Amino acid sequence: MDEVATKIIEILKKHMKEPRDDISLSTPLTDLKIESLDLAMIVFDIEDKFQIEIPYNANEEVEDFKTVGSVVDRVKALVAAGPASADAAKA
Amino acid sequence: MKKADGLRRVVVTGLGMVTPIGLDSNETWASIKEGKCGVSRVENFPLGDLYIHIAGEIKGFDPATHVKSKKVQYGDRYSWFAGRAADEAWTMSGLPTPYVNPYRACCIIGSGAGGYSTVETAYRDLFIHNKKATHPLTLLRIIGSSASAHVGIEYGIKGPTFATCSACSTATHAIGLAYDYIRNGLVDVGVAGASEAVLTYGSMRTWQAMRVLSPDGCFPFSKKRNGTVLGEGAGILVLEEYEHAKRRGATILAELMGFGMSSDSKDMVNPDIEGPRSAMQFALEDAGLDPSEIDYLNAHGTATALNDVNETNAIKDVFGEHAYKMAISSTKSMHGHLLGAGGGVEAGICIKAINEGFIPPTVGYSDPDPKCDLDYVPNEGRSQKVRYTMSNSFAFGGLNAVLVLGPAPA
Repeated sequence: MDEVATKIIEILKKHMKEPRDDISLSTPLTDLKIESLDLAMIVFDIEDKFQIEIPYNANEEVEDFKTVGSVVDRVKALVAAGPASADAAKA
Repeated sequence: MKKADGLRRVVVTGLGMVTPIGLDSNETWASIKEGKCGVSRVENFPLGDLYIHIAGEIKGFDPATHVKSKKVQYGDRYSWFAGRAADEAWTMSGLPTPYVNPYRACCIIGSGAGGYSTVETAYRDLFIHNKKATHPLTLLRIIGSSASAHVGIEYGIKGPTFATCSACSTATHAIGLAYDYIRNGLVDVGVAGASEAVLTYGSMRTWQAMRVLSPDGCFPFSKKRNGTVLGEGAGILVLEEYEHAKRRGATILAELMGFGMSSDSKDMVNPDIEGPRSAMQFALEDAGLDPSEIDYLNAHGTATALNDVNETNAIKDVFGEHAYKMAISSTKSMHGHLLGAGGGVEAGICIKAINEGFIPPTVGYSDPDPKCDLDYVPNEGRSQKVRYTMSNSFAFGGLNAVLVLGPAPA
């Protein structure tokens, strides 16, 4: 498993009530007993770690978040697209 | 005149609203009858890197013009809305200023967040602009009880005066408490409701981080719904003991008949059926009504994936077959989610529905969700006799509060 995948699995494990060691790229997120607020925190940690912005909406079923591998692919694509423009409104 | 349980009856003699679709109750109601939507692109502050660009924002609110009291004008935006809504309600009630029997009146005006825009301005001054001091009124503007204090001062209210704070159930809890104080004989008059003004860059970032806002609009009960839309404003009622109102010849708008509250005691964001069901049942029992007597239910209806299905299921549990016959709508589709203030505005809308014989629609409704299969009064309101109504408020943390309102006692 590459570095991106390893880091993402570390983040997932951090937010799991009962972390396990058999997580692979094909593991569905639904198997990890992650609830909606946990997923928001996971997305936050991933954004912070990789300096990207993931347009995730807790109200929608998103293909990108089906399996661990799909999250890894999405993150890699966003990292390749460049860092998020963190230009806060400084009014 | 007392209810069967020996408690005094409580009526509504004043009603005030400030919403994204109207700066008073009549303007708001006219918008609701038209099915007008107040959700629009945010203009009151720079959006910066926010990816949520819409809200139920009140445009062009000028405290110098729209708020009568000079003292309230010095307050936070949330106090301005409270001051204006309270002024409308108190003036409508015809009660004297200052109130003649000051310890026999209460003022319970809550807010989910208090003076949020003041916090943000002060922190920008300190941390970005490196100013030496914050504005001297910063603390007074921020505290969540400042609106209740301001309004209490305006009308000379010296009885119980404080704020409630229960996220999206704040106003409903405030109104329920004032109702309890009046029917148990502690006071005869109560100003109650809530105000909210959290449309700021920092606040929207916190909501955005929770991933529950829709970038498109507030579409309760539709399959296409993809989150709620924040709004701002205030909803405040003047409540009064029935005989007290009758004696002074007041115009009685409605009777507050029932109040129910409960907590899911389960999860901060995932709602449970039992909590909302219990709150609705308690409110109906308190009102002494059979579920089949409710003509109109103003739903919490936030347009999040979870709430609307859960609320639909809880309604089915409480109302059985009648759930499919009664009219249910979420007026958040028009004014957005006013958070703490929502229940105050929505109770006011129930009163208008009774007085005007009109059921408000759920606008922007299309693409029915098979899991939400009740009559949500899609897109167009209906002229219909309305006697008894229910207003639901279900908050983060599983905090539920429900009111039952009916016509003025015959």
